[in-house]
Amino acid sequence: MISNKHNAFQSVLRRELDRMVSRRLYFGVCIVLPLFCIFFMSTIFGNGQMENIPVGIVDQDETVLSREVVRQVEAVPTFKVTKHYADQEAARRATQTKEIYGYLVIPNNFEADATAGREATLAYYYHYALLSVGGEVHGAFETVLRQISTGPIVMQATALGIDEEQITTFLVPVRASNHPLFNPDLDYSIYLSNPFFFIFFQVIILLTTVYAVGSEIKFGTGREWLSAAGGNIVVAVGGKLLPYTVIFSLMSILANYVMFGVMHIPFSCGFWPLNGTAILFVISTQALGLFIFSLFPALSLIISIVSMVGSLGATLSGVTFPAPSMYAPVYYTSYLFPVRHFTEIYQNLLYGDYGFAYTWVNFAALAAFLLPALLLLPRLKKAVLSPKWALPVESWSWNTDNTNK
Amino acid sequence: MKLLSIIREEFKTIAGSFAILLVLMGGIFMYGLLYNYMYAPDLVRKVPVAVVDRSHSELSRKYVRLLNATPQVNIVTTSVEYPEARDMMKQDLVAGILYLPEDFEDRVGRGEQSIFIVYESTSAFLYYLALQEASASSMLALNDDYRPEMLVFLPSQSAAKLSAAQAVSVVGTALYNPTKGYGTYLIPAVLIVIMFQTLLMVIGMVSGDERHSGSIVRLAGTPVNLSFGQMAQVVIGKTFVYGILYAVFALFLLGLIPYMFGLPDIGHPLYIIMLMIPFLMATSFFGLTASLFFTDGDAPLLMIAFFSVGLIFLSGVSYPLELMPWYWKLTHYLIPAAPATMAYVKLNSMGASMVEIQSEYITLWVQCIFYFITACLVYRYNIRKAGCFGQKNIRTN
Repeated sequence: MISNKHNAFQSVLRRELDRMVSRRLYFGVCIVLPLFCIFFMSTIFGNGQMENIPVGIVDQDETVLSREVVRQVEAVPTFKVTKHYADQEAARRATQTKEIYGYLVIPNNFEADATAGREATLAYYYHYALLSVGGEVHGAFETVLRQISTGPIVMQATALGIDEEQITTFLVPVRASNHPLFNPDLDYSIYLSNPFFFIFFQVIILLTTVYAVGSEIKFGTGREWLSAAGGNIVVAVGGKLLPYTVIFSLMSILANYVMFGVMHIPFSCGFWPLNGTAILFVISTQALGLFIFSLFPALSLIISIVSMVGSLGATLSGVTFPAPSMYAPVYYTSYLFPVRHFTEIYQNLLYGDYGFAYTWVNFAALAAFLLPALLLLPRLKKAVLSPKWALPVESWSWNTDNTNK
Repeated sequence: MKLLSIIREEFKTIAGSFAILLVLMGGIFMYGLLYNYMYAPDLVRKVPVAVVDRSHSELSRKYVRLLNATPQVNIVTTSVEYPEARDMMKQDLVAGILYLPEDFEDRVGRGEQSIFIVYESTSAFLYYLALQEASASSMLALNDDYRPEMLVFLPSQSAAKLSAAQAVSVVGTALYNPTKGYGTYLIPAVLIVIMFQTLLMVIGMVSGDERHSGSIVRLAGTPVNLSFGQMAQVVIGKTFVYGILYAVFALFLLGLIPYMFGLPDIGHPLYIIMLMIPFLMATSFFGLTASLFFTDGDAPLLMIAFFSVGLIFLSGVSYPLELMPWYWKLTHYLIPAAPATMAYVKLNSMGASMVEIQSEYITLWVQCIFYFITACLVYRYNIRKAGCFGQKNIRTN
């Protein structure tokens, strides 16, 4: 009996490998697309630093002091001052065409007002329809201009013979020291490259799983598939999905190697805990795909549903907009996606390898995705054997029309 | 087949397919609403923070109160030591730790600068930004309160002169996003990507099915006519149908949704319509060209769906185009969704006019011309390829 099962497993496996090489599609989704995603996510952010962002300056004052301000702004690594504008209107227009992401206005009489102790204002504008760039521009302007803003007082104090340390203490008695943990330079590749590769990847895994199983039913090869497995649906599904599990796991390891090995994204844990987690993630994502398909085994419908479900992963992983800040129903729904648990485990591993004690719930959840998929296997078997699902959906739902003809 | 019958057939195919209707209804209407719901909180508020107060002084309590009063921060506890606070961060109970050292008040009392430390989790940059904003603004408030008391540490006669000197005031203004929200920034871009992706999926399903069943051959008519003119009729006929459908969907996505959810909506409707024309045409031609790879009705989705987020990156809305390597800048000009998304954000969120979207607009029209020609060529190729065994299929039908 056992050797029988073994043979059946081998024959399903061999059959699947034949199917995989017989269509270019499988080569595309198993090899080309994952490699493309690795390449895309590891290169799209350039060097990861928001540096040399084009900004403009409107200097209406044209004095020694205003030029000093300009020099200080130009020295900020975040900025690249691409253009000086004659008036605010021109600068605003340039912002609208996205030539620049922000600009500084030094008003007329700036120097005269500042040295005479009258109210002088430095106004800067930053682009917030493009929030992530705008945030950086805002932060950089804030840092450099706050420093400049105390200039008149420092000047006065120096004239009075008060040393600089004393005067800064007077001006800023309490100072904050910010420490962004794990990613001190706020590097975008460190922040997004790895999680977003897996967000792309889970869509591919979900769809490939659904397609691999569903195409058997759609193209009427389901009975042959099942008989190769000796009528055992567990063997049939296992043998079918194993090659994909292996390929996708290898792709995950490659992605991890490229990002942590070649790109030197820092990580606190060993290399293999990351890969082990990725493999578990691949399996549980496959299980989710299989589960959704088994619920309603009509390929053409489920594949469009799954492609929409998969795309939600980008939001629900909570990488960009933190999940706890979303409404409660959305927050709790996010835990129905393997990618959310995966992200939590990965952040834990990468940011400090805090240990299994903090992530075992996520690991358990990933494993738990297997359960509903297994429970629905009998239903899948029935669907494979039933002629109903092999027909195009339209013909059995719209069929009153068809029979009338 | 004549243009009119091509149009009629295309409408029939779309209306008769559950899967296509599902993509249209689910993709356009569900997604349009769902995304708004998911991002409706818009701003990161009440980030949980643990306070490690080693100073236990009036000043430290005052700072904690000020910090807690900011909308961005919610102080969970003030009675932990640093290791416990770290542990809370590991468990994701807090996203930031405020550390007030023992000599926090003493230093101010001695006339020295006092420093406190904020540790921020970078698991989401929005957490970091919210915390930084909150700690900076409460710090400014505290400093303004304490500055008069610091005067005693300065030489007595200078005090009067110093208070006469005024610091330059710095005023920052965020343009084009009045709520400074994340949803108001991202959703306009998502709407365009939704249109692009669903239209590609529909084209993929229709043309994949045509090729799989061999019914693609009927488009060449009888007797078989593979002239460029006939192919142009096919491409124009199909595009006409998609254009009509998406005019309605665009009305919902770009007209109604921003209105319902209070998204930025300062664009001139006429400009947006003028943008939609080349965008939808280019997308349709692009999709029909891509049908070179669509061999059955379901497989195309495998190649389309995964890249939705990638298109947002490529559009340059979330990460500046200037900082990307040259080949992704080039890709930006090849995929209609990328320039269209940027142009839409400019028109609708920034109130730009056609002059300001000139480069994107020209790009889209160039894409229209280029992909129109490739779409015709691809259809000729696909029909020819389906030719011999396709004819047989049709006869048996």
